Amino acid sequence: MGGEPDGAGPTAGGEAGAAEGPKTVHVRCSNGNKFSLEVDLSITVGALKVMLAERCDIPADQQRLIYKGRVLKDDNSLDSYGLQHDHTVHLVRGAPASVSGPPPSGTTPASTPAPGSGALSQTPGLQQTPGSNPAGLGAFGFPNFGLGAGAGAGAGAGAGAGAGGFGMGLQEIQQVQQQLMQNPNLMREMMNMPAVQNLMNNPDLMRSIIMSNPQMRDIIDRNPDLAHILNDPGTLRQTLDAARNPELMREMMRNTDRAMSNIEASPEGFNMLRRMYETVQEPLLNAATMGNEAGGDLAGNPFAALLGGQNAAQTQGQQIPSINLSNATNATAGTTGAGAVTAVPNTAPLPNPWNPTPTPGAGAGAAPGAAPQAGATPLAGAGLSGLRGSAGLGGLAGLGLPDFGAGGSPFGVDPAMMQQMLQNPAIMQMMQGLLQNPQYINQVMNMQPQLRSLLSSNPQIREMMQSPDFIRQISSPESLQQMLQMQQAVLGQLQGRQPAGSTPGQPGATPAANAGLPDLNSLLSMFGGLGSTFPTNTPDVNAIPPEQLYEAQLSQLQDMGFYDTQENIRALAATGGNVHAAVERLLRNPG
Amino acid sequence: MTSSGSPVIVPRNFRLLEELERGEKGIGDGTVSYGMDDGEDVFMRSWTGTIIGPNNSVHEGRIYTVKLFCDKDYPDRPPSVRFHSRINMTAVNQETGVVDPRHFPMLAQWRREYTMENILTELKREMASPANRKLQQPPEGSTF
Repeated sequence: MGGEPDGAGPTAGGEAGAAEGPKTVHVRCSNGNKFSLEVDLSITVGALKVMLAERCDIPADQQRLIYKGRVLKDDNSLDSYGLQHDHTVHLVRGAPASVSGPPPSGTTPASTPAPGSGALSQTPGLQQTPGSNPAGLGAFGFPNFGLGAGAGAGAGAGAGAGAGGFGMGLQEIQQVQQQLMQNPNLMREMMNMPAVQNLMNNPDLMRSIIMSNPQMRDIIDRNPDLAHILNDPGTLRQTLDAARNPELMREMMRNTDRAMSNIEASPEGFNMLRRMYETVQEPLLNAATMGNEAGGDLAGNPFAALLGGQNAAQTQGQQIPSINLSNATNATAGTTGAGAVTAVPNTAPLPNPWNPTPTPGAGAGAAPGAAPQAGATPLAGAGLSGLRGSAGLGGLAGLGLPDFGAGGSPFGVDPAMMQQMLQNPAIMQMMQGLLQNPQYINQVMNMQPQLRSLLSSNPQIREMMQSPDFIRQISSPESLQQMLQMQQAVLGQLQGRQPAGSTPGQPGATPAANAGLPDLNSLLSMFGGLGSTFPTNTPDVNAIPPEQLYEAQLSQLQDMGFYDTQENIRALAATGGNVHAAVERLLRNPG
Repeated sequence: MTSSGSPVIVPRNFRLLEELERGEKGIGDGTVSYGMDDGEDVFMRSWTGTIIGPNNSVHEGRIYTVKLFCDKDYPDRPPSVRFHSRINMTAVNQETGVVDPRHFPMLAQWRREYTMENILTELKREMASPANRKLQQPPEGSTF
C-alpha cells in the first residue's frame, strides 16, 4: 500500500505560508505536512481546493477537506462551515470519482454550524455568570414600550432600591430624592454607575432587599400579582433603563396614555380599570397606611400616598396608566394629607387621569403624561424607600457615612439585616463604586444642610470626608461593621435619653430628629474611635465564614461546574472574591 | 466533589471548550479532526469526528465519520461513540455502527483525562491493527 500521499505536501507547502492576513487557514495533510495559506473565507470549498492544488500535488478533484470532523462540500463557502482565522483544515487524498460523485448540494448553510455564533454560544461557562459583568446591563434592551406601565411600576422598585443605595443614610431621603429629581443628569449618572447597575443586575439581591422588609413582604404575600413584578428582573431592568433615559420615559408615558384611552373606550374597560384600582391600589395603600401606624414615623411621609399610586401601576404591567393614575391619587391623597389616607382610594375610583392639572411635582411639559415622569420615578422610588426606611432598610445607607447613619436611621436599623448586608459582596461592591466617586460624595454632603453646617463648623471633618483614604477606610467592611456596633451603642444611649416615638423620617421634623443626634462632641469622639480602630483590630471580618462572605461567587462557581467548595473558597479568598480570577486560578492550578 | 488537595477537576464545559479549540485549530497529532455538530448547543453534546484511514491498511484513503455524544456526565463517563460511515471492524457493531466498549478497552476503562481526540486516534490505531487492517470493507461512502 503505497505512501502515495507521502511526499505530496512538501513540494509546495514545505514552508508555512506567511501569516500576515487576517484569514490564515492551516492545512494539514494526511502525511503530516502542514502549511498555511490566506484565503477569503467567503470562497467556496471548491475554490480552496484549486488553490490547494497549487500547493500540493493532489489534484483538486481528489482532495478531501475535513474540518471539525466534517468533509467539506465543494459548493459551500468556507465560512458556512464556521471556518475561522487560524483554524486548521485537514487535507486527504481521496478517490477521484467515488466520493466527489454525490451531488454536493444537500447541505444548506443553515444546517451547518452557524459560523459567527459558534464562538459565542460555545462558551456556556461564561454565559452563566451574568451578574459579574456590569456592562451587561441591558443597554440595548428597552424592548417593550407597550409595557410602559409596568415599567413605571418597576420604577418604584428599581429606583427605590437605588435610592436606598445612594440615600447613604441621610435621614431625609426625600431631600435627596428631590435633589435628584431636580437634576436628572445626576440621576442618570447614578443609574449609570456600574455599582448601581451591578445591584440592579442582581435580581436576587433586589428581591432579598424587598423581601427583607416586613411590610413589603406583607404586601407581596397578599398580592401575588405584585410579587410577580417585583420578582421579575426584566421589569426592574426596564425601569432602570427608563430612569436613565428621559426620552424613553416620555415614550413610555405616552404609550401608557394611549393604552389607557384604549381601555376606556372599550365597554368594560372602565370597570376593569376600577377593579384593578381596587384590587391593587387599595391593598397597597392600606399596607402603606398600616405601616404608617405601626412605624409611627410614616405619617409625615408624603410618599406613602404616592407609593400606593405608583405601585398600583406596577401590578398590571400591560395597561395601567402608571403615572397618571398615581397622579390622581397623589392629588387626592395629598389633599387628605396627614392622617386619613385610608379611606381615599375607593371613594374616587378614577379622577380623570388625563387631566393635566394634577401634576404637582414636575414642570410644564406638553403631554400630560410626560410632565410628571421626570420626577415620577424617583418619587416612586422614594415611596418604596420611604417604606423601607421605616422598616429599617434605610439603614443600607447608614453604611457609607457613619455619622448620618447615627443621626438618621438608628431607629429603624435592624442589626441583623445590616449585618447581612454588610456581608453581601454585591452591596460592598456597590458601596465601593459610590465611594470612589468623590464628586458624588461631595454632592451628597452639600445637599444636606445639617451636614453642611457640620462641615463648615468643623474643617477637620470636612477634610476627613474629602480624603479618599478616609473614605476608603470608612467603607471597608471591617469599619462598617464597627460602625454598626457603635451605632447601636449610640442608639441605645439615645433611646435611654429620649422617650420613644421620635420621627426621623419626617422632613419637617428633621431638626427634631437632629435633637436625637449625638452632639458634635460625641460625633467627633466617634470618629476618633473609628480612627483608632482602623489599623488594629478587625475582629469581625474574620468571624464571617468564607462560605457566607463569598456566597454569591460560590454559587456562580458551582453553576460553572466547580463543585469542590473548599477549593473554590480557597481560590476566591486568594483572588479577593473575583470570580473570573478564581476560575483562572482553578483551571491553572495543577494540584 | 473530591477532597481538597487533589488536582482540580476541570468542569465539563471548560473541558469541552478546550477540546473544541483543539479540534478547530488542529492542535494535537492532527491525524483526526473533530468538532461540534451544533454550534448553538450550549451543552456541547453532539460531536462529529473524522478518521482518515491509516496507511497500509484497507482503510487507507478512506474517510470515516464518527459521531460522539458527550452526555452531561462527560468526561467522568465516556461519550457514546458510533460510526456514521460504514466500516467493518471488530469493535464496531455491524448493525448500528456503535463502538462496543467490550471490544474497545479505551471506553471500557475510561479515564477522565481521555479526550475525544484520544478516542479517535485510538480507533484509527485499531483500524491498523492486524485484526482489522485486512478486513473486507463495505463500499466507501455507505453509512450505517
